[in-house]
Amino acid sequence: MKRAVRLLGVGRWRPLPALALALALVAVGFAAWAGQDWYRAAHDEQAAYAAQRDAALSAGEQAVQNLNTLDHRELKRGLDLWESSTTGELHDQLASGRDEFTAQVKEAKTVSTARVLSGAVTELDDRAGRARVLVALRVTVEAADGAKSDKDSRMLGELTRTDGRWKLSALGQAPVGGTSTG
Amino acid sequence: MSTTRHHINRQRRRQARETRPAAPAGRPQGTPVRTGGRGTTAVLTPVGAGTADPPAAGDEKAAPARSRRPVVLVLLCALTVLLGGFAGWAHAEAEGLRSEPARSNTALTDLARTSEIKGQVAKAVDRLFSYDHADPGALDEAARDLLTGKAVDQHRDLLADVRARADEQKAVITTTVTESAVERIDGDRARVLVYADQSSVATTGKKAATDEKSRTDGAAAQDEGVYAAAMLAVDVVHRDGRWLVSTLDTFGR
Repeated sequence: MKRAVRLLGVGRWRPLPALALALALVAVGFAAWAGQDWYRAAHDEQAAYAAQRDAALSAGEQAVQNLNTLDHRELKRGLDLWESSTTGELHDQLASGRDEFTAQVKEAKTVSTARVLSGAVTELDDRAGRARVLVALRVTVEAADGAKSDKDSRMLGELTRTDGRWKLSALGQAPVGGTSTG
Repeated sequence: MSTTRHHINRQRRRQARETRPAAPAGRPQGTPVRTGGRGTTAVLTPVGAGTADPPAAGDEKAAPARSRRPVVLVLLCALTVLLGGFAGWAHAEAEGLRSEPARSNTALTDLARTSEIKGQVAKAVDRLFSYDHADPGALDEAARDLLTGKAVDQHRDLLADVRARADEQKAVITTTVTESAVERIDGDRARVLVYADQSSVATTGKKAATDEKSRTDGAAAQDEGVYAAAMLAVDVVHRDGRWLVSTLDTFGR
């Protein structure tokens, strides 16, 4: 460095410009390193997959909770939420059974409130836009006479990504006493 | 004569004052402009040229050369600050991206580890919640092998009643994990959600009892109460190449 500057400076060593130049070069180096580090962090495939996993899980938990929550006083809102949380066959089932279900709940006058205890993704196909989740759920049902009862459910849900959003395409309870499904 | 000598002396004094700040940057680029290649003799140039009013003339000539140096310096400094700023910002961005909770959780992104954890937890839960009245030592051994920390007490509390009842009824309780999913893997810690079925076969007494950790669903009844559905979340830690259960969460039941 010192020699090079001397050659340039026609035999005279000038510390201030040399220092400025050295600092600028160091800054160039840092900027280049930090820039590509940032680029790599932003284009990490694993991170994108992890983000999809978390998106699927939170959408799945919310949808499962929605589908187990219903207030007979606000049926329309609740059932609209059911339909907006689902897609595919499950959505069709809910839509076609809506009138019948409305009548039942109006008669029973129940208020169901669900709370997600825990949830996790078992499978995720990022490309196909499919995921499978386990959601542990506690549903509190308040009957017409005000009596409350808690019930825990072991839910298995299947999610499908439609237009960039994860929605439930199948939902059921884990079978008990049957054959292990792995 | 004397005026010239006097002049030269003045000129030298002035030069001596000015050389230090002026010379460093002025030489390489400055000289050609002024005297067309006479470089080192610049000291003398004003002597021959300027006779009447040297200070003013000399200052005017030196001015462009001296101002160019600071411009280059300032540009370099500005560049340094800008690049340094960018480097710092990009680094912060990268760190921010990396520290996103989604990334620190390697469940499913690290498939090998995910299935290893699932497998070991399933085996651990099977052993920890199965009990044969004829071989009570097996449960203690499982507890010693697979539990650590808080889970030791939690397991003892959870199983105390079950053991007592099973001994009384001479029952065999078998737990089988049916579904499990890894919620989170963060280095050597992980959390797994487990669904398990418990079957209980009593050799005396009529019916199997459901232990306190099982919730009998409507669905369980179809098998005449022999099966009970259970769900729990298990925290595990990686120690000596194995995953040990550190917390058992039965969701407040």
